[in-house]
Amino acid sequence: MPDAIVAEGLSKTFNGTVKAVDGVSFSVREGEIYGFLGPNGAGKTTTLSLLTAVLGPTAGQAVVDGLDVFHNPHDLKQRIGLVFQEPTADQDLTGRENLELAAALFGVPLRETPQRVNDLLDRLALTDAADRLVKTYSGGMRRRLELAVGIVHSPRVLFLDEPTLGLDPQGRAGFWRIVSELRKDTGMTVFLTTHYLDEADGMCDRIAIIDHGKIVAEGTPTELKDRLGGDVVTVRPIGLSDQLEVALKALPGVTAVTAQEGAFRVKCPSGEVLIPKVVAAATGLGISIAGISLRRPSLDEVFLEFTGREYREDEGPTATDRAVFMTRFQNARRGSR
Amino acid sequence: MSGVRRWAALTRREILKLARNPQAIITSLLLPILYLVLFGQGFNFTNFLSSNPFLTPAERAQILQQSFLGAPDYFSYFSAGMVGFVAVTATLFVGANVIFDKLFGSLKRTAASPATATDIFGARLFAGSIQPVGLAFLVLGLAILLGDLGLAGLHVSVAVSVLGAAEVVVAILLLSVMFASLFLSLGFTIEQPQTYFAVVNAINLPVLLTSAALYPWGLMPVWLQTIASYNPVTLAVWVIRITFFGDAYYAHPAWVYLGGLFVWAVAMFAVATWLTRRALAPRR
Repeated sequence: MPDAIVAEGLSKTFNGTVKAVDGVSFSVREGEIYGFLGPNGAGKTTTLSLLTAVLGPTAGQAVVDGLDVFHNPHDLKQRIGLVFQEPTADQDLTGRENLELAAALFGVPLRETPQRVNDLLDRLALTDAADRLVKTYSGGMRRRLELAVGIVHSPRVLFLDEPTLGLDPQGRAGFWRIVSELRKDTGMTVFLTTHYLDEADGMCDRIAIIDHGKIVAEGTPTELKDRLGGDVVTVRPIGLSDQLEVALKALPGVTAVTAQEGAFRVKCPSGEVLIPKVVAAATGLGISIAGISLRRPSLDEVFLEFTGREYREDEGPTATDRAVFMTRFQNARRGSR
Repeated sequence: MSGVRRWAALTRREILKLARNPQAIITSLLLPILYLVLFGQGFNFTNFLSSNPFLTPAERAQILQQSFLGAPDYFSYFSAGMVGFVAVTATLFVGANVIFDKLFGSLKRTAASPATATDIFGARLFAGSIQPVGLAFLVLGLAILLGDLGLAGLHVSVAVSVLGAAEVVVAILLLSVMFASLFLSLGFTIEQPQTYFAVVNAINLPVLLTSAALYPWGLMPVWLQTIASYNPVTLAVWVIRITFFGDAYYAHPAWVYLGGLFVWAVAMFAVATWLTRRALAPRR
């Protein structure tokens, strides 16, 4: 199957110093749902902005649907759909008017536009609200409208930038159900960024984990979880002890022990079997254990494994966030002079 | 064809948004109306000159004619100036809307579509330039109506030909294109609304005060006359005054002033399109 997206050595530096994306290379096959997973400021949105010609690169190349992104931005925009993480629909227009505008901008034939708009409104359960101003829509309705605007021209590649941010679980599930159906019906390629590990796990054919602008792991969700080598038992002793680490490594079935954030992460095929042995080993050494937990292989664990830290969705502003803020602040100041 | 359709769709959007937010129209009209109803009535010093016992009737007539360049009284002279100035206040919102569209994300959506910077700029310029023509005629109607109500009002002293009326429309349109281009370029380059309004205020008052919209021409010092004669508001206002009061006191016919306005409009349009293209290009 040919590649719908190819990125080679993509880099983006803000203010000459902050590397938001640092030599990222990957490819996405046609018809695939490919997820970019990472915390705030990891470089997800910057990568997506590069692939959609919203941003120009500092270095590297990208090809989307056979087009060089940076040499054919106008042609590219006609072939791709883009759903931003923030609302972009006109609040003073109705849902229908927003879709008609998007259809005109993306060159949907005039004769086909009414039918296309009605079909989308129907598919996204917006028919009843079609002629209401968008400012009266709920959060879930707005997200569905954003998706409708993004696909009104039947793009071959759809980019979704954290599209379910702020939605409740029911809204998120509904949104992804629609995306799955669309992919099934049209065969479009989907590139998405997300904060939500469960979404990436459930939706994506393949996932790249990005951290500090670099891809640290890539594969199918199953492959990534398999790389963990089974269950992970986290042992939190009162005070880290070299003796305990040695004892844990010696336990039967243990494949790896790493010390992280005041705890030992012990990989093994079966956590239930190992836990009593861990307790016995610690007791034998006279070491008290403050806590012990078992995690099945999950993307949370994958993230921890490859980035060395827990996944948190509400991490504070990063260096990239601050750099982007400073760029906008300086632009605003320049504009006011 | 697709470019025309994109432009038409974006223009429709602008007009729908404008129709759903009449506050912008009311605010645009407020300043000229206040000037007509308060300043114009309170400052109509024609009566003072007319009743001056130290002047002969011929001298009074000469002073009035030279001060107001052929207009029968100060209010008529000044209200033609306000008709020109409404183009400035009405186009102010086209730039503000760009900033709000940036803040609310809709400009991001449009910029990510195949619409070119020319489509985006052109639609806003078109919608923003047509509106002041209508508003200018509202102000004109109000100025005439005030006279019918027994207050100081606009008195047109020559027969207005079809060509003259067309020249008035073209003058307002060119002035609107010029200021809409200026405010659009500010809107595309400034990020914050408070900064935008501060800059616009810093532009509006000097433009008004260095034009011949308010002052009797004959009372202006020569240095201010020199500055005012290049001010685009003055050029538009002169076209309107020539149409309403005749060209006896003007150095050139109306088309010369229209030519000057055209140069202003083209220059500002060129600068604004360049700035818009730059603002909407992928950030490097």
